[in-house]
Amino acid sequence: MSQAPAVAPPSLADEFNPFLSMAQLFNTAADHLGLDEGLREVLQRPDREMTVAIPVQMDNGSLKVFTGYRVQHNFSRGPCKGGIRYAPDVNLDEVRALAAWMTWKCAVVDVPFGGGKGGVICDPRKLSQSELEKITRRYTAGIMDILGPDRDVPAPDVNTNEQTMAWLMDTYSMHVRKTTTAIVTGKPIALGGSHGRTEATGRGVMLIAREAMKKLNLRPQDARVVVQGAGNVGGIGAMLMHREGYKIVSISDQYGAIYNEKGLDMPAVLAHVKKVGRLEGYKEATAMKGGQEALELPCEVIVPAATENQITTQNVERIKTRLIVEGANGPCTAKASKILDEKGVLVVPDILANAGGVTVSYFEWVQDRMGYFWSEERVNNSLEAIMVKSFDDVANVAQKYNVSMRIAAYILAIDRVATVYRLRGVFA
Amino acid sequence: MISESEIHGVDYDDLAPNTHSVEDENPFATMMASFDEAADKLGLDPDVYAILRKPDREIQVSLPVHMDDGTLAVLEGFRVQHNAGLGPYFGPLRVQGALKMDDLRALAGWMTWKCAVLNIPFGGSAGGVRMSASRHSRGEVERTVRRYVSSLLHDVGPDRDIFSSDVATDEKIMAWVMDTVSMHARHTENAVVCGKPLTLGGTYGHADSVAQGLRAVLAPAMKLAGLDAKGVRIIIQGAGMRGGVLAQALVQDGHKIVGLSDVHGAFYNERGLDVADLLKQRAGAGSLRGAKGTFDRITNEEMLTRDCDVLIPCAVAGTIHLRLARKIAAKLIVEGAHGAVSSRAERVLADRGSLVVPDILSTGGGAVVNYFEWVQNRAGYSWTAKVVQDRLLRFMTEAWTEVEALSQQQNVRLRMAAHMLAVRRVSQADRLRGVYA
Repeated sequence: MSQAPAVAPPSLADEFNPFLSMAQLFNTAADHLGLDEGLREVLQRPDREMTVAIPVQMDNGSLKVFTGYRVQHNFSRGPCKGGIRYAPDVNLDEVRALAAWMTWKCAVVDVPFGGGKGGVICDPRKLSQSELEKITRRYTAGIMDILGPDRDVPAPDVNTNEQTMAWLMDTYSMHVRKTTTAIVTGKPIALGGSHGRTEATGRGVMLIAREAMKKLNLRPQDARVVVQGAGNVGGIGAMLMHREGYKIVSISDQYGAIYNEKGLDMPAVLAHVKKVGRLEGYKEATAMKGGQEALELPCEVIVPAATENQITTQNVERIKTRLIVEGANGPCTAKASKILDEKGVLVVPDILANAGGVTVSYFEWVQDRMGYFWSEERVNNSLEAIMVKSFDDVANVAQKYNVSMRIAAYILAIDRVATVYRLRGVFA
Repeated sequence: MISESEIHGVDYDDLAPNTHSVEDENPFATMMASFDEAADKLGLDPDVYAILRKPDREIQVSLPVHMDDGTLAVLEGFRVQHNAGLGPYFGPLRVQGALKMDDLRALAGWMTWKCAVLNIPFGGSAGGVRMSASRHSRGEVERTVRRYVSSLLHDVGPDRDIFSSDVATDEKIMAWVMDTVSMHARHTENAVVCGKPLTLGGTYGHADSVAQGLRAVLAPAMKLAGLDAKGVRIIIQGAGMRGGVLAQALVQDGHKIVGLSDVHGAFYNERGLDVADLLKQRAGAGSLRGAKGTFDRITNEEMLTRDCDVLIPCAVAGTIHLRLARKIAAKLIVEGAHGAVSSRAERVLADRGSLVVPDILSTGGGAVVNYFEWVQNRAGYSWTAKVVQDRLLRFMTEAWTEVEALSQQQNVRLRMAAHMLAVRRVSQADRLRGVYA
């Protein structure tokens, strides 16, 4: 285990670096809280980092050694929680930043977890299923001493899925000589997964949009919504908003956007996506070049649920909306956010708006620990209770400190973690 | 006592018998035969199939125990753990003079399928001590059970293998199991065993769990058989915790119990029996032998063939055999005991248009409430009797719905559908987990 540097390296410095934005936000929020230097350093530095070599016998008989990481950013509030990603560009700095992000996200929705993140440097497109399985099992065995339902609970992330989680759970269970489903979330339903998890982030986005609309005194039927992304977050979020009576005027995927000012028939749109794999070619709408162009359509709500850096200083002046609900991580840059604040656009930040996923992951962990599984209805109701309360919590902090919801979310999260840290004290 | 050779004489190859005759007397082969057919119909991957055909682990322990007269007896204990794909093992603890390894293997496999049908996150196991409890003092039984549990400590536990009560194991024995594990663990560990007394972490609704489970599947089963929701004429064989409790509940639901029996007496009245009165007399006299009332006093076997809409045999395996099946009038037969309808009899009944609800589903209430006990123990929070009842109803209804749907989709009888559902769930879990190391 290596010592983590206290400050992010300078390579992360520009508008398009969401991790740098996070570091700036941390400092702004800490200033509002009057956080002392010592605690600032504690909360910016990961509690623990682990790097493991993963030797794997490849299908062609050769031996290859991969590198895996697990970073536990802060475990004062409970076991660490966070995804494991497999990608060629995984690096320790990114994993550190993402782990910290999880700490704040878990604290905003007040689930009893700290933040963690892991990754393996590999290119899954060039690996067979059996090679992926071997990597997963050896990586799990390598970091096993710091994992556990009460220590650190991984989840799927980029290029990892239900199957990866099943292998991880099996490996851990075999080592500890007992079935331990609560070691990981995002499992298949057949192995202790939770109902409602696939739709959780999209549902959370819909719930947060609903609460924000109330705050703006807007009714769903008066709202034109532009959604970027047509997958688990954007697609499902748009579908659920459509069901609530919103008019989804545009939705986009990586190939392009579609637009219908009278409102899209979302069930038909998603059926089309399921059939052909993309939005392109959907008849009842006008095709547009790309998702970024669609963001400039006149509307009341924008849900950017695709990738980071979609609303930037380049296009923010042309955005004509009243509400932005960040379904993706970091879709608005820090600079653009500031301009949106000045324009009076309400931006609900990512760590609140897309926390539905981690909330249902938390439910999965609770169910696994009990060994008793909830109906989908119960999962959805519990999710609604947490999302609504979290929105109110953040809105109250925003009012109290007279800051944007984004800064308020960080103030709330940092305050929650700092409070617990002070109560627990420094362990000898 | 039974000789050593009876256990060691069982060749391990018995786990893969060459013939799968459904009429085979060997319980393991019978269990595997239904499984084979279900696997076949599902087109199961041969690799997964191979895993499921053998128990994960078999443990045999030698138990030296001091008898009351100062001599030392060396008894034998067993635990078979069939499959852990879905979760910890779970299965009965049996204290029986004629305990056979092959029975335990069959039972362990059976428990895997039963849990899977009911969507309980457990795999199956079975075990016990070869000992006639009635021929020993309570002290001797207690020392034996405690020694048995100590010998298995590394293999049992709330997340490893959970005991449930069975032949000749009562609440008291379950309490000893809990105490032994707890003393070794240095903390109270009640989730390792189910069927405990209420004061030690037992659950409400344990005693009548099978009866309530039967009642829960009866409503949708009657609908499927085209029977009315009320006023259905029902014959129940058995008047104890299953048959008796069920009869009372069904009267409350507005049905007519036209036949009721225990080992000592069988009664029939086409206009309906006074169930409350009969059970009161039975409670007083210890059996139905001398019961008085308005009814025909007939033999148990004759009762099963009398006119009725629903027949619920809650007594022993093989009650409805081939010869009897041809005379049965009921449109719907719900197995209230394990194997109450023989395979040949079921075929005859099916040809005659009668519907048979299989034991693996209908008698599942017991396993469901045992599972609830484990959940409550882990949470350290007890549910009210009503919560137990409501959740039992939910589990039984969901299991029924899935079995019925699969039966219609695959055009197979309910028994085969239940087996297919179970095999599909377990093999899906095994496939997802993959082969470790």
